Amino acid sequence: MALPNKVLPGFSAALYCQPTATPTPLATAALATVGTVAPLAIPANQLPVEAIPAFGQDDAVASFAVAGSRQSDKIPTQAAPTSMTITAAWNPSDANLLLMRGDAYSGVIDRTFIISATDGTGIVYYSFNGRVGEFKVDSAPGAEAKCTFTVHPRGNQYGWCNNA
Amino acid sequence: MMKVIDAVKELTSTYKPFAEVAKGLQVDANEVAAALAKAIPESEEFTVLRVLADLNPVVKATVQAPVEIKD
Repeated sequence: MALPNKVLPGFSAALYCQPTATPTPLATAALATVGTVAPLAIPANQLPVEAIPAFGQDDAVASFAVAGSRQSDKIPTQAAPTSMTITAAWNPSDANLLLMRGDAYSGVIDRTFIISATDGTGIVYYSFNGRVGEFKVDSAPGAEAKCTFTVHPRGNQYGWCNNA
Repeated sequence: MMKVIDAVKELTSTYKPFAEVAKGLQVDANEVAAALAKAIPESEEFTVLRVLADLNPVVKATVQAPVEIKD
């Protein structure tokens, strides 16, 4: 898999999920193909997250080990696939948050997730397949309701590509 | 030797790391190069054919000049 040929000096990131309640996750070649990833990274599929958590090892310094990658056959803590715990403002009408909740109830739905990082001109897409677990709604009085869930990437089902 | 079309079909449908799977497929380098030239950029086929082409480079036959042996 070729590395992205674009290094972003600074970027803003967004998280997208594949739509529908029974998705067919992208195969690994498709995860590394901009032609199949970019059509999923659209506003309708965006998750309204507060912030994108660290999604790979050393992602802030342009190392392209992304969520879902394993570095060895042993699975010590450092080399385990990176799970992402995500916090979002809870909106019971948001279709994508409801998909996440449904996935967490099921526990066995594989779905493609995409993180896009853009500096305004070029976009680098990091894609992986994962399952959602531990969906909680924090409805503490005195603050807006939040939901928290964790995306657990499937081992080695990841890819990257860019449009530059 | 596997047909390129079958290799592409297998690589675009696998959930294993496709670059690793590609290492186990024996394909004709010239056939891969021809398919890559026809493939649409930004398609899955293009992605896997590029990996296959890296693993199976076309080797050009070189003609060596005859060596004259003098006694």
